[in-house]
Amino acid sequence: MLRTLDTFAGRVIALSAILGTLGLIGEVVVILIDVAGRYFGSPLRGAQDLTQMGMVVLVFGGMALCDRQGGHIAVDLFERKMPDWMIRLTDLLAAATGALIFSGIAWQMWKSAAISRMLNLATNIIYLPKAWFQYYIVVCCIITAVGMLLRVVSLLMGGPIRRSEGHQS
Amino acid sequence: MSELAIGIIGMASLFVLLGFRIPVAFSMFVVGFLGIAAMRGFNVAVNYLASEPFTLGASAELVVVPLFILMGNVATETGMSRRLYDAAYAIIGSVRGGLASATIIGCGGFAALSGSSVASALTMGRVSLGEMERFGYDNRLSTGSVAAGGTLGILIPPSTGFVIYAILTQESIGRLFLAGVLPGLLLLAMFVLTIILMCWIWPEMGPAGPRTTLTEKMRAMIGAVPILSVIVVTIGGIYTGIFSPTEASAVGAGLIIAIGLISRTLTLRVFWNAAKSSVTTTATVMLILIAAHMIIPFLALTHIPQQLGAFLSGLDVPPLVVLGLILFCYLILGCFLEGFAMLVLTMPIFFPVIQQLGLDPIWFGVLVVLTLEMGLISPPVGVNVFIVKSLVPHVTLGTIFRGVVPFWIAMMVTLGLLVAFPQIALYLPNTMIN
Repeated sequence: MLRTLDTFAGRVIALSAILGTLGLIGEVVVILIDVAGRYFGSPLRGAQDLTQMGMVVLVFGGMALCDRQGGHIAVDLFERKMPDWMIRLTDLLAAATGALIFSGIAWQMWKSAAISRMLNLATNIIYLPKAWFQYYIVVCCIITAVGMLLRVVSLLMGGPIRRSEGHQS
Repeated sequence: MSELAIGIIGMASLFVLLGFRIPVAFSMFVVGFLGIAAMRGFNVAVNYLASEPFTLGASAELVVVPLFILMGNVATETGMSRRLYDAAYAIIGSVRGGLASATIIGCGGFAALSGSSVASALTMGRVSLGEMERFGYDNRLSTGSVAAGGTLGILIPPSTGFVIYAILTQESIGRLFLAGVLPGLLLLAMFVLTIILMCWIWPEMGPAGPRTTLTEKMRAMIGAVPILSVIVVTIGGIYTGIFSPTEASAVGAGLIIAIGLISRTLTLRVFWNAAKSSVTTTATVMLILIAAHMIIPFLALTHIPQQLGAFLSGLDVPPLVVLGLILFCYLILGCFLEGFAMLVLTMPIFFPVIQQLGLDPIWFGVLVVLTLEMGLISPPVGVNVFIVKSLVPHVTLGTIFRGVVPFWIAMMVTLGLLVAFPQIALYLPNTMIN
């Protein structure tokens, strides 16, 4: 059951990362067209709006995959001194905390999106409705939170723990 | 309970959570949220949950992060970054210690394509360590030069360290990028000088490499021209005001992709993997920034930064002594904390102090980023040292750490020069056009 759920979550997370990656490619294209257009005297209308909302798509699209790949930076100074049970406990705590945080963001973003819809809030130039992107954040945060919850369940059932292999900087 | 007491409890809790391996972003989020809730009520704290993620997530200024990461990833995946090393190798490889110097120059060139120190050490280490081993280089010199050279990644622009500093302190990303150029080149020169000195004192450490013909030299240099052009266009574009940093990042990424396509080293799969990896790295950085914006208002409410600033300003010592104390804190913290974590955790506390003392924030940013670099090769955490270790498992960690000592000293000298002569950092941003 857990394996089926995990496989399903993996696919949804991959889909969300694909959206994020498309967001990144979109950013490159939009800014390049804008720069080239400005050179010829006709910048892309709404480039700023597209860049901002593209950023939302790419940042939140990558959150779930980042977590699944263990990409969050943690201080592993005492890790070598910690027994396996403690590593499991801290992994559990981290996953549960993350799930709570992303659920909280999703819940608040949902309420914020409702207000944006009510007030017809949109971007400045080409009037992209803010609510669309807020709902996108809600979905991505839920996917991330579910991924973390699944890891909580997996750790409780004796699943593998994470030992750090290094950071990025 | 007083505001100060709540602040101290909050900071203590933060360090406990970090010690228990709770990711930096989550720890800051929890402490910031609970702190604001304790001081201003649950509803105020809850409001930050929606506002901060959206505001930062939709920041057009931060697009430089994924785009420069993409640029570096594509350069790495297609092997383009190797060409810089090849050019330096062909020119100076045949002199004593030349391969180590070529590694440093290659790292410097790669740093101008990527904001990541780890990527620099990994990429250059892969191509240069085997070569230095083949020519009988002392392991301390070969591993030390790769670990130290990699640190140039966060000083020479584009640098994610500068972007994060800029967002936390509301300074200009473009000015910070330009401020990193001359100190980055100075540090690169100091590293090369260190190698020359080491090989002069102990000639057996870095024997001369193979001689190359003029044709080989020319071919290697021509191979590096496209990459050098990208560097000149992006950094030069920011300096001359032709591009904003955001535009420069897109132009740089676009050019690297175009070079990869023309040279047929960039396939769709390679590009997709580079882009996906850029997205997840961006998510890591952005979550930390979002969390930092939860803890910054909490710290402001506790008045800890102001009280610390008042205390330090009240000391009967010149501002440079206070600056020295702050940098000393960074050097110590750098031994234990990851660079980004250290930056986001300390900046809300130290930056107001720097402002109160009237010190230049751009200059301070360069000094801080340099100390972050030193943390990358300082025991026991020294991330770059572990990266090098993963490439040469037969060399002990002790040997690598001994190997970085001369480079660490070179960084201290550079830090001293930057403190003594702020113009090294400030000249370019002050003469920047537009």
